[in-house]
Amino acid sequence: MAINKDVYKEFEDVVGADNISDDPVIKAAYRAPYITVVLPENTEEVAAVVKLCNKHKIPFKAQSTGWMLYAPEYDFVFLDLRRLNRIIEINEKNMYAVVEPYVISAELQGELFKRGMICNVKGSGSTCTAIAMSGHGHMGLSTSTGDRNDLATEWVTDEGEIVRVGTLAASDEWFCGDGPGPSLRGILRGGGVITKQATKVYHWPGPSEYPLEGLSPRYTLSKKPSEMNMMVRYFSFPSIEKLIEAELKIGESEIAFELMGFCPSMVSSNITTSNEEDFATLDKFTKEVQGPGFMVIIAGNFDEDFEYKKKVLAQIIKETNGKSLKAVEDPDVEATLLFQCTRVSASIRETFRAGGMFSSMMVQGQRYDNHVKWLEEAAVWKRELIEKGLVIADDGQQFGWGEEQGHLGHSEIFCRYNPYDEKSSEAVQKWMERVGKRALDGCFAVPSMGVLPVDMVGKRVSNYHIWFGKLKKAFDPNGVGEQTGFSYVGADSSGAHTSIYQKKPEKASPKK
Amino acid sequence: MAIEDYRGDVEMCCRCSACKHIPLQKVKGIEHSYACPSIARYNFHAYSGSGRLLIAKEMLTNGFQYTDKLLDIVYNCQMCGACDTSCKYAMDMEVLLPINEFRIKCVKDGHTHPALDRVITSLRKQGTMVPGAKRKRAAWAAGLGLKDATKEKVEVYYHVGCLASYDKNYQKLAKATAKILKKAGVNFGIGYENESCCGGRAFQMGYKEDFLKQAKKNMAMLKKAGVKTLVTSCADGYQAFKVLYDKYNLKGDLEVLHISEYLARLIKEGKLKLNKKVNMTVTYHDPCYLGRLGEPWIHWEGKRIQGYKFVFDPPKEYRRGTNGVYEPPREVIKSIPGVKLSEMDRIKEYAWCCGAGGGVNESNPDFATWTAMERIEEAESTGAQAIATTCPWCEKNFNEAIKEYGSSLKVYDIVELVEKAI
Repeated sequence: MAINKDVYKEFEDVVGADNISDDPVIKAAYRAPYITVVLPENTEEVAAVVKLCNKHKIPFKAQSTGWMLYAPEYDFVFLDLRRLNRIIEINEKNMYAVVEPYVISAELQGELFKRGMICNVKGSGSTCTAIAMSGHGHMGLSTSTGDRNDLATEWVTDEGEIVRVGTLAASDEWFCGDGPGPSLRGILRGGGVITKQATKVYHWPGPSEYPLEGLSPRYTLSKKPSEMNMMVRYFSFPSIEKLIEAELKIGESEIAFELMGFCPSMVSSNITTSNEEDFATLDKFTKEVQGPGFMVIIAGNFDEDFEYKKKVLAQIIKETNGKSLKAVEDPDVEATLLFQCTRVSASIRETFRAGGMFSSMMVQGQRYDNHVKWLEEAAVWKRELIEKGLVIADDGQQFGWGEEQGHLGHSEIFCRYNPYDEKSSEAVQKWMERVGKRALDGCFAVPSMGVLPVDMVGKRVSNYHIWFGKLKKAFDPNGVGEQTGFSYVGADSSGAHTSIYQKKPEKASPKK
Repeated sequence: MAIEDYRGDVEMCCRCSACKHIPLQKVKGIEHSYACPSIARYNFHAYSGSGRLLIAKEMLTNGFQYTDKLLDIVYNCQMCGACDTSCKYAMDMEVLLPINEFRIKCVKDGHTHPALDRVITSLRKQGTMVPGAKRKRAAWAAGLGLKDATKEKVEVYYHVGCLASYDKNYQKLAKATAKILKKAGVNFGIGYENESCCGGRAFQMGYKEDFLKQAKKNMAMLKKAGVKTLVTSCADGYQAFKVLYDKYNLKGDLEVLHISEYLARLIKEGKLKLNKKVNMTVTYHDPCYLGRLGEPWIHWEGKRIQGYKFVFDPPKEYRRGTNGVYEPPREVIKSIPGVKLSEMDRIKEYAWCCGAGGGVNESNPDFATWTAMERIEEAESTGAQAIATTCPWCEKNFNEAIKEYGSSLKVYDIVELVEKAI
């Protein structure tokens, strides 16, 4: 069912006839059969669309770059924010950038490189929005996590009010998300639409542009990484305890630009250009590594700094019995990992190429104790699926990295599989639930949203969902805004409103 | 293969949006980061490579339902293959082939575009993609004394192509090519009235049967004439003879060269000397059908290995745009005394399309010139005085865009630049 003609006309009057559609073929491309798509151009249009949604009590959902969209199966107005794609400001002095939601990380990063700066890029990759909000990335050691980078924000509430959060409210400046002015950062994920946001930027010791040569997909660098005072290595350790010791020491010494707890399979995915090459390389790596490992990138600001960092790293690796993976010491392989993992287009090869889909269990917080132990258990259960031939046979390991030089951490494990193979999909879904429940029952962590019903999680975490639900209701009295795992509106405890994050195999519907 | 044979590929689309942009390693900032003209112009996801695959998936599952909007999406695509290259930087899956097969199915099911039908009518009646062509195909060669390759043995057969044969504004390219080949002492000839359209553009538009008819006709003529080496100055023609004819096992052992490859060879061998100075800063536009889509066809037959991985037996080698013709035109340009080459942001396998391909030039001229103007502005940003290309369709579309929107940039084919230097 689509919205009626008169209401459609009201939306059309806001965005123009070229920027609205409820044609079945347009909807098919969003994998959502019941939506009306609008393409607002600016904040005012977003606010006007949201107000109309409230007026007519039509749910809405906004999306920026839309990595892995799964849309709810109910009527709603879908705000595709593609036309909000401007970099508003790069403030070199105060080290922030203000972007609209459809600026992708690769674009912002490209601009920042020219200025000797870099931004956090989410782990999902640099095709995704540069808006800070959520997502943890490979460079978290030095650029922290998404939600630690968001500063002042322009936000359209679920009722369509334009709210300027942080310093923007008081002074038209973007430098702080918490004030002077209202700080609503804690609830921004509960709904509304972010239309502009300032994100922190950081010093970048690397080149203003990588000297890439060759042709896709086999790019390489015309210079060795060491000629740019950069180095990439992969170390494996005799035990997870030794790996964690090394991670902590590297964080404390502040010598690394990036520390990414890649499993060998993630290294092989990144340096290879096809599945067959990937699996063959992984076989080789598996024989060489002694246990869990990580990839580390050193970036020197000048020659002496580079030498110092390398020496400290060597000392830490010696103390923790780390072993370098020889293949990564090859300057060509090293170069590939360097630009893959600092420009972070890494994730697509790592996640989707092998089977088409992945499902991930992730958590942010204290990487070094509970989380790792919990995911080590998850890894054992994952290996059971590998043995049964239900998911991609990789090394089955958990991975993670320190954020902010190890003060925080991100831990994760995922299964790659074919989403159109029902057995695989079911097995992965059950694995996710099992791992999620173990997190709660063992008091290890709060599992990622969408894995378990919100009320099952919420009651183990100070009933946050009820409090959040109250907040949500205050901001969204008509219940038209985003209904995600972060919010809890009404009495629905089935978890159905979180199903947008769950992939189900699609079956052919009867022919019309 | 039909669209149904690409079900596994369309199901692999994970909606990462890599298909919208140039390979991410190459993104230098907010400008010139897009690869796909269609998504850049029309914004709805349906117009991207991913959107097209997701639509195909929906229709493979629930049946093909043709609507005006579907056809608008289908025909507003230059079939430039940029989505394919960007996706395959990271993924193992076909993108352009299923999009192409989708269009072929539309045509087969009778859902064509009227403007493209007109072009195809011209092809069927007159053997050319230039509708309304009244003069003879080889009228441009009158008085030049060129050999008729169908009557006497020559080393090189020069396939002129439709636009350079019939369009009076672009016959200069055929004349320049003939002049250069003569100057280099090449024993060459043309087909005169026996030359016919290569069929490549018909294939891009979805008219596969018309393409096959042209291909068979051309190969019969070339075989009869004993042609071993074919040189063409049209990128579409190059891709048709080199790649598509091979795909359908029609090429045999015919050597197919683009004029840029042949000129680079002649220059290297010292047979063509460029002596006159041409003081000009030039930027080079890679035509899609010479560049990423000019990559040789890879013959492969196999089956997907059932299970959780997207792999095949035997392993499938993908065409990723790596082996297109990129260096020869650059070598030619650099050989011209006084010419300075200044590159654009989007080049080689991730070049932005000129806008003319896939029949868009005919079906939606506004979109074609909009796309061209994006390229003109990118060319201007290099500081170049001229944009050089190696395809008459690109040159024509750039000129039309400049006429409509305005720019002081000059447009040349490299044969025009070489002609100035001899």
